[in-house]
Amino acid sequence: MYSKEITKSLKEKGISIGDLVKIEYDNVSMEGELMPKTETGSPETVIIKLKSGYNIGISFDKVRLTKIADSHGPVKFPSAKLAQDKELPKITLLFTGGTIGSKVDYKTGGVHPLIKPEELFYDVPELSKIARVDVKNPFSIFSEDMSHKEWARIAEEVAKELDNGARGVVVAMGTDTMHYAAAALSFMLENLNAPVVITGAQRSSDRGSSDAFMNLICAVQIAAKSDIAEVGICMHSSSSDDSCHFLRGTKARKMHSTRRDAFRPINSIPIAKITHDGKLDYIGQYKKIGNGKVKTKNGYDSSVALIKAYPGSDPGLIDFHVSAGCKGIIIEGTGLGHAPISPSDENKSWAGHIEKAVKKGVVVGMTSQTLYGRVNPNVYSTARKIASLGVVYCEDMTPETALVKLGWLLGNYDKKTAEELLGKNIAGEISQRNELNEFLV
Amino acid sequence: MRDEDYYKSIGFMCGLELHQRLAVAKKLFCDCPTNIIPAIKENEWSIERQQRAIAGELGTIDMSSGFEAQKGRSFVYKVAEGRSCLVEIDEEPPHSINEEALHISLSFAKALNMKIVDEIQPMRKGVVDGSDPSAFQRTFMIAFDGYTEINGKRVEIPSIFLEEESCRSDSASGRKVIYSVDMLGVPLVEIDTWPYLRSPKEAKEVAMQIGTMMRISGKVQRGIGSIRQDVNVSIKGGSRVEIKGMQELESMDLLIDNEIIRQQELLKIRDELVKRKAAVGEKAKLTQIFNGTKAKLVSNSISKGGEVYGFKLSGFNGLLGREILPNRRLGTEISEYAKSAGVGGIIHSDESLAGYGFSQSEIDKVKKGLGVDDGDSFIIIVGEKEVIGTAIEFAILRAKYAISGVPPETRGAINDGTCSTRFLRPLPGGSRMYPETDVKPIQITEKMLAYASNSAPNLANEEKSLMLMLKDKVLAKRMLLSQKLGVFKELSERSQDPEFIANILLQKFTELRRAGFEVELISTQRLSELFSAYDKGELTKQAVEEVLKKLSEKDQSVGSIITKEGLSRIKGTELKRLVEKHVSEGKSKAELIKEIMSKHRLKIDGAELNNILK
Repeated sequence: MYSKEITKSLKEKGISIGDLVKIEYDNVSMEGELMPKTETGSPETVIIKLKSGYNIGISFDKVRLTKIADSHGPVKFPSAKLAQDKELPKITLLFTGGTIGSKVDYKTGGVHPLIKPEELFYDVPELSKIARVDVKNPFSIFSEDMSHKEWARIAEEVAKELDNGARGVVVAMGTDTMHYAAAALSFMLENLNAPVVITGAQRSSDRGSSDAFMNLICAVQIAAKSDIAEVGICMHSSSSDDSCHFLRGTKARKMHSTRRDAFRPINSIPIAKITHDGKLDYIGQYKKIGNGKVKTKNGYDSSVALIKAYPGSDPGLIDFHVSAGCKGIIIEGTGLGHAPISPSDENKSWAGHIEKAVKKGVVVGMTSQTLYGRVNPNVYSTARKIASLGVVYCEDMTPETALVKLGWLLGNYDKKTAEELLGKNIAGEISQRNELNEFLV
Repeated sequence: MRDEDYYKSIGFMCGLELHQRLAVAKKLFCDCPTNIIPAIKENEWSIERQQRAIAGELGTIDMSSGFEAQKGRSFVYKVAEGRSCLVEIDEEPPHSINEEALHISLSFAKALNMKIVDEIQPMRKGVVDGSDPSAFQRTFMIAFDGYTEINGKRVEIPSIFLEEESCRSDSASGRKVIYSVDMLGVPLVEIDTWPYLRSPKEAKEVAMQIGTMMRISGKVQRGIGSIRQDVNVSIKGGSRVEIKGMQELESMDLLIDNEIIRQQELLKIRDELVKRKAAVGEKAKLTQIFNGTKAKLVSNSISKGGEVYGFKLSGFNGLLGREILPNRRLGTEISEYAKSAGVGGIIHSDESLAGYGFSQSEIDKVKKGLGVDDGDSFIIIVGEKEVIGTAIEFAILRAKYAISGVPPETRGAINDGTCSTRFLRPLPGGSRMYPETDVKPIQITEKMLAYASNSAPNLANEEKSLMLMLKDKVLAKRMLLSQKLGVFKELSERSQDPEFIANILLQKFTELRRAGFEVELISTQRLSELFSAYDKGELTKQAVEEVLKKLSEKDQSVGSIITKEGLSRIKGTELKRLVEKHVSEGKSKAELIKEIMSKHRLKIDGAELNNILK
């Protein structure tokens, strides 16, 4: 934002953001458009977009601005009508925000949610050759701001679209917490009988190199053509723009902050590999489309927490959560599912605190911070002791999936059932066998 | 000789864009190295990407972007270990800016009397040819409204930019274009002149002068490709054409003159076409006509599933083959458009069609199919199914332009001594700039400005100090404007005979280069060894040339060449003893010198010998 003085002075001169102005500065006279201030610049500098397209920042007290013409108004993004080929399968594309659902204003760099489907079809005309795509935008939210409320809302929307005849549904969202959402939808959409494909982008779509285009194309391909009846994540399989992976929703994790192939399968292999021209290779086991009707089971109790055990960690964390009303705790333990129970500083032992939590009725689950591999309470005495306190060992589930599962269980079942089901497979989140090729995929 | 009045009379417009890589240790937005020697191969990974044209700020895809995207190419990036990180390949946002590069660019702005902005606004400039994996280049305007003087005349410098170097083009095969990522991100300064340069000669002189200003800072990279001079040229009735890729600054004026002739000739063709009421027809598929043809080029392509398309050019007869520059015709220009879509070229009716192996009946069928009459021409294109459609559209686009004049284009210099150019792509529009939101705007502080003023390269001072060192005005001026200046300064630092070094670098290098020795490949390190040996009296002047020849053939230590070739100088008592052996009665001094030098020419200093014989 510009400073109060600049804002006032501009107002007096009748100049608004976007107006064409004359800039007089030290014997030079130029023309340009007055740009809005970004949050990172100095509030005392005016930003001018010159005819060359370059922006420059000049101290307001050094320039004289005179208005030449009004702003052209907000940028209009080009759009294209989608030809609806009746022979093609019908799918729904739900935009819920994130990088993939944003457009960048070419003048200001400001980010706007993508709302009009026509704009999407202009950027990705290939979609119209794959399916009849119905675009919906129930809400727009940053990935990090998403919660169980949005997951539940998406689950409802998906079920509604499938009930209305969509062959599959693509959900576009922010990537940061995409694997939590994917796990949530996997549990919430019971008896799913269609592909539900979650996709996003690591690079914004204002750049020609964005991964959004291929991710969307591949996601629509899977929704329109595959016989997979599961929730999964469809993102780049490598740094190249050659194919995407379809990863089981309960077994995927964002493993890199920026790379386009950030989503990897954990303790599993991809269900399928898909190229943008539609070549679909099934790699892993999956549930096929059969008979039946999807049913949403949307309950979620958000009073669950994920805490990490580390050398010297303070087990008081557990007490804090319990006293805050937490009903379920997932521990991200070390190795096979351990936490310090006999450290030299007795006050740092987790054993008593875990025991207290369990006695208070909190469901406690154990996962591993190694991410890869299975927890096992039988190998070392530490884990034997922890398990004996009533902690559920969550097999080869990722900590995030375990957290979401526990919230969902507590929201839909009584405590006893939740505790029973936590360590049992419901939506592909636990594999009974782990093969050699499931590591660092 | 054409003078400035002539150029004024034809509506000559000309401006320069000079790009110079900076000699800093790290890239502009990451910690990767900048001193890359492409010849040395590193362990490489390879990634393949697609890029698409994105609507610019006016909500339109400009012609240039659309043109590139239509070609449907994919880009392969070679990523060498140790040279590039995730930032260059668009897998990680930029780190903070290289401040040293910023300071250097500010000092150049000061040297060009420019006004430095108060807050630099990072921008993204769309790049559609794949030369940046992110599909944009990061670029900042750091100053504006400057000037320089050339021959007492003012030349305005409206802008200077700090930006990222693009990828190095590696090769292309079919629809895949291959780039090396290693150079991407090296800091680059771009300096633009106004478009009113008064003659091609002035353009060349301005380029030389600004190049020199940057070189004397000692903060710029040296060697092939480290500086690029792009020229914008147009004449009245013509169009703006940007010429890139010029390797010899010496021939810049000739290149510009040839572009003027090209535009003039195209305008003459335009006038003729208008008079003839010429028109370009629609494309038609002609593959069937050529089933079983004896024309190898066509039958080969058809057997691999290729297609043949053609179109009529009403009223073009004789004009496709008319020369507009030596060995360049309107047909060449159209052909280059088609080639850019991935076909081998075009066949047109001003050529000898029998030479391709076509039968008369095939030619007749084509003419009938396209409705070609006397006075008309036609073009046919043969190519793979995937590219033929685009190729024919591009050829039609260019042919239509012939009727309206000169198309605005980016052209590439052909560096074969002809000073000609070829089509690269349509000239990009100006609507591909938007803010780089991953980099914070940079406030320019008083401290930065003071530093820039103090470190601004000063041509007059430099010339003075060169004069003092070389004691020869002509030599000093030549060295000042030479690309060798940096090397010279480095080598002459510890030398007692800078004049000798200057003469070797300017004259001997040119002589040897013309004689076929690749002296430009000799590293500064080796030159330093050489002149230090010379300074220590280990080598004679004559032997220096011999060592240069050996060094240009193979990189090796100067010491080893001296030993191997027996070039060690004979001097002092050793020389005296040698002279004593030769002295005998009746021999004149001149005879003695002749005798001794004929045996030991490379090893004995003539002056020293002369002294001994006194």
